Amino acid sequence: MSRLSAEQKIQPHWWSKTFAGVILGLTLSYGLVAIFAWFGPGGLEAVAKNQFNMWMISPFWMLVISFTYLFKTGFKAILYLTLANILIYGVFLVLRWMS
Amino acid sequence: MKIRSDILRTYQLVHTWTGIVAGLVLFIGFYAGSLTMFEDELTHWATPSNHHLPQVSTDKLDDLIAKASASSDKVSQGFTINLSDELSPITWFEQGGGRRLALDDVKVHGTLSEDGNLLTQTEPTNELGNLIDLLHRTAGIAGKLGHEDLGVVVLGVASVLYFLALVSGIIFLLPTLTKSFFALRKNKGPNRFWLDSHNLVGIVSLPFHFIIAWTVIVFAFHDVLYDGLSLVYGDEPTFERVASPAVEYSMDDLPPISTYLRKVETLTDGYHVESIAFSGLLSARPSVGVTIKNTQEMMRNSTGDFIYMHPYNLNVTYSSIPMSENEYYVTYVASFFSLHFGGFGGNTGRWLYFVMGLLGAFLFYSGNLIWLEKRRKKAPIQSQSNRSMANLTVGICLGSMLAVAVTLFSSKWLYLFNTEINYSYLTCYYLIFFTAVIYSFIRGAAISAIHIQYATSIACLLIPITSVVTRFIASSDHWASRDLGSIMVDVVAFVFAGIFYFAAKKTKNRALYGERNSIWAI
Repeated sequence: MSRLSAEQKIQPHWWSKTFAGVILGLTLSYGLVAIFAWFGPGGLEAVAKNQFNMWMISPFWMLVISFTYLFKTGFKAILYLTLANILIYGVFLVLRWMS
Repeated sequence: MKIRSDILRTYQLVHTWTGIVAGLVLFIGFYAGSLTMFEDELTHWATPSNHHLPQVSTDKLDDLIAKASASSDKVSQGFTINLSDELSPITWFEQGGGRRLALDDVKVHGTLSEDGNLLTQTEPTNELGNLIDLLHRTAGIAGKLGHEDLGVVVLGVASVLYFLALVSGIIFLLPTLTKSFFALRKNKGPNRFWLDSHNLVGIVSLPFHFIIAWTVIVFAFHDVLYDGLSLVYGDEPTFERVASPAVEYSMDDLPPISTYLRKVETLTDGYHVESIAFSGLLSARPSVGVTIKNTQEMMRNSTGDFIYMHPYNLNVTYSSIPMSENEYYVTYVASFFSLHFGGFGGNTGRWLYFVMGLLGAFLFYSGNLIWLEKRRKKAPIQSQSNRSMANLTVGICLGSMLAVAVTLFSSKWLYLFNTEINYSYLTCYYLIFFTAVIYSFIRGAAISAIHIQYATSIACLLIPITSVVTRFIASSDHWASRDLGSIMVDVVAFVFAGIFYFAAKKTKNRALYGERNSIWAI
């Protein structure tokens, strides 16, 4: 592996990355669970699916927080996670509009 | 596997700091969680055997209920039928009751004599198992945040950090994983040995740890998560409210116990009924909760599953097992609970979870020790922050275990002095715990680690000794129970006396003959 220059290395940016993971990761997880809640097996009405959905939020959330430190800078973490949010909620709204 | 060095460096930092911040409270949560695997046995062990009245045959239970409800108005508010031979056939609350843990509840135990007369006995409840469960859920941190225990929220936050620590730990272990997975290098000094065992335990029990981290986050924040989810649902209701018809019932309308047993038989497969708890029988929302057990299934927790019904018309209102094949989400959710509470695999499963919990505690303790060693300076006196962290680690981790051991051994003596037992447990725990923490700051980590471990060993040894001695002391409370669960409590305490003695000797050895430039040297 060739040595990376200072700019190529991951920047620490602890606060902004943590912020991105905690806030944007949470909204992203809700978006994923929202799609599953409405359009996953059983639809909205299935018995105990509400509980199941609640259980599914935190694993997605935790994984996003865990890997947010791989972004090179805090700015990129916020940027890409915002884009991911827009994408997921876009898909959700289109699906809602179509159904 | 090759991973870029800056990624390794980043995740090493994440691992170190999440571990250091969350480790101490998680240590208490884990070892106390191990004990909760046997909380019913512990409560039973701590309750004088004559508090429980003899069981009656199932066909006499209806007669017992009728006579009990004629004797007291409290019975219609709620009573429990126990089918286990070791418990009183009927109990109800004279004072307290309800779902929240209360330390001054008073229970009436009832049974029938040979000639069919009602016999009752009123006793304060023993909450030892529930208090250990409270310690497990809050790490002993008192106080409330809204309607939630502060300690639960603290452990929830700690579990988020713990999840991060798990992921980051794997990432920065990956490059050397295949090379040093099963390596336990004893000849490279104690530090390497601690690190190797930390890695080995962490990797081997990884699935368990992910499950625990995830479920604890859910348990701590489910209210908040549900609130957010209701936004997702829009106008759709998240929980159905069942309208209760305004019918007035009387105790005479109550079907016989055999009806409930038959109903459970038709609803389930392979389950047997442990207990049946009635509540609010004269109110608009009467309810009966049946606790059922089947060690072949993934049960909600190690004490069983439950079905809630309307006591008069037997309509099922809620259950922790699916009532039909298309209720598969009930099965999934039940399995999440089961994976946290060790509700599968019967006694083998419980012992496995007991051991895994202790290994988890070891993970946090060893993690702290490794951190301390890494920051070690080549000087006889280590930095103030290092010494403080060492004192905290020893004081909190070992002190908490000492406090529980002393509380357990004093339990039967406290009954002799007629104290309010549940409050005495609390006083005893916190007194010993804070004494240990203060002691480790006064004497330093090295000496107090040795002393606290010796003290814990002695306290553990005194548990079975107490059980033997109190059997022969004449008092109003009897300790004659010879059931396997109670005997095992004493046996396990004896084993742990040995373990703590061995650990104390090892620590002393290191303090005297180990490296001199160490916080563990004296």
